[in-house]
Amino acid sequence: MSLLVDMMNDTLDGAYAERAQRPAGTPPAAASVRERSRGVLPVVVLVLLGLLTGTAIAQVRARQDAGTGLRAELADEVRVRTARTDELAARTEALREDVAAVRQAALSSDVAGRELADRLGALGLASATTPVSGPGVIVTVQDAPAPGAVGSLVPAEAELDGRITDRDLQDLVNGLWVAGAEAVAVNGQRLTVLTAIRSAGDAILVDLRPLTPPYVVQAIGDPADLELAFLDGSSGRRLMTLTSLYGIVFDVSRAQKLMLPSAAVPDLRSASSLPGSGS
Amino acid sequence: MISAVALVLGVVLGLVLEPTVPAALQPYLPIAVVAALDAVFGAVRAQLEGIFDDRVFVVSFVSNVLVAGLVVFLGDQLGVGGQLSTGVVVVLGIRIFSNAAAIRRRVFHA
Repeated sequence: MSLLVDMMNDTLDGAYAERAQRPAGTPPAAASVRERSRGVLPVVVLVLLGLLTGTAIAQVRARQDAGTGLRAELADEVRVRTARTDELAARTEALREDVAAVRQAALSSDVAGRELADRLGALGLASATTPVSGPGVIVTVQDAPAPGAVGSLVPAEAELDGRITDRDLQDLVNGLWVAGAEAVAVNGQRLTVLTAIRSAGDAILVDLRPLTPPYVVQAIGDPADLELAFLDGSSGRRLMTLTSLYGIVFDVSRAQKLMLPSAAVPDLRSASSLPGSGS
Repeated sequence: MISAVALVLGVVLGLVLEPTVPAALQPYLPIAVVAALDAVFGAVRAQLEGIFDDRVFVVSFVSNVLVAGLVVFLGDQLGVGGQLSTGVVVVLGIRIFSNAAAIRRRVFHA
C-alpha cells in the first residue's frame, strides 16, 4: 500500500525541495540570463496551459455540436417529411373520394352507366381501391419485451431477441389470405396485389411507409372460419411457436364490423389490358 | 496576479482562435490539460511554501504534459488507452486535490 500512501502524501514535486536546498547551484553567467527570464517563463507556460485548456474545451464543444446538431437535423427532417407524407396521403384519400363521387354521379344517369358503375364497384372491391367493411378478425403481434424486462421469457443475457421481422409479417398476411381473408390491412394500410412488406433497418415498411409496433392486421372474412383456418394454418402455428420461444405478443380476436380504408390505385406503367378483354 | 491573467488570457485565446489540433493529437489534449494542471497546483503550493522555482515549474510542466501524453499514446497502441487515460486522470486528480488541500491549509489555516 506504500505506493498509494506515497501518492497521497508526497504530492509536491521533489525537485522544488531539492533546488531550495542548493540555491547557489547555478554558475553566475547562467544566473544573469536566468534573472532576466525569471518571471517571464512561468507566465508563458501559464498562457500555454490556458491555450491548451481553451483548445480542448473548444474541441469537445465542436465535436458535441457536430454530433447533436446533425442528429437533431436529421430527426427534424424525418418529422417534417413524415408529416408531409401524411398530409399528401390524406389529400390523396380525399381526392379519391371526390373522383368516386363524381364518377358515380356521371354514371348513374343511364342504364349502361349504372352497369359500368356496378362493375367498377366490384373491381374496386377486388383490387382494394375502395374502402370495405365487414366482419373479420384482428391479429395483433408485437415485439417481445426487451430481454430481461418484466414479463420477458428471455433472460437478459440472451442473444436472441423477439423482434417481429418483415418475414413474420409477410407470413402472417399470407396466412390470412390462405385462410380466406377477402381484404387485409396492416396498421390501417390496405394491402393490394402490389403491396410489398419489407424492412429497412429495424423498421417494417408496408408500401414504403414505416410501421410502428404493435402491428395490427385486420382481415375481413367470416370471423369464425377465418380465425380457425388461420390459427390452424402453418402461419398461425409458426406465430404460436414464436410466442412460446421468444415471448412475442400474439393475439387474435374476432370483430363484427371492420372498416378497411382504400389503397392507392397502383400506377401501372408497363402493364396494359389485352385487347378485347374489356375495361 | 500576473499568473492568473496569463491563464485567463490563454483560455480566451484558445476559445476564440480555436487552433486546429492535428487529429492524431486530439485524444491527448484533455490528458495534457490535466497533467499541466497538476504542475500548476504543485507550483502554487511551492510558492506558498516559499520554495518555488521557475525552472522546476517549467520543466515539470513540460515533462508532465509529455509523459502523460506518452503514457496514453502507448496505452492506445497496446489497446488499453481508455484504461490508462483513466489511471492518469485518477492519479493526477488525487495529486491535484492533495495539493489544493495543502494550499487551502496555507491560505486559510483551515
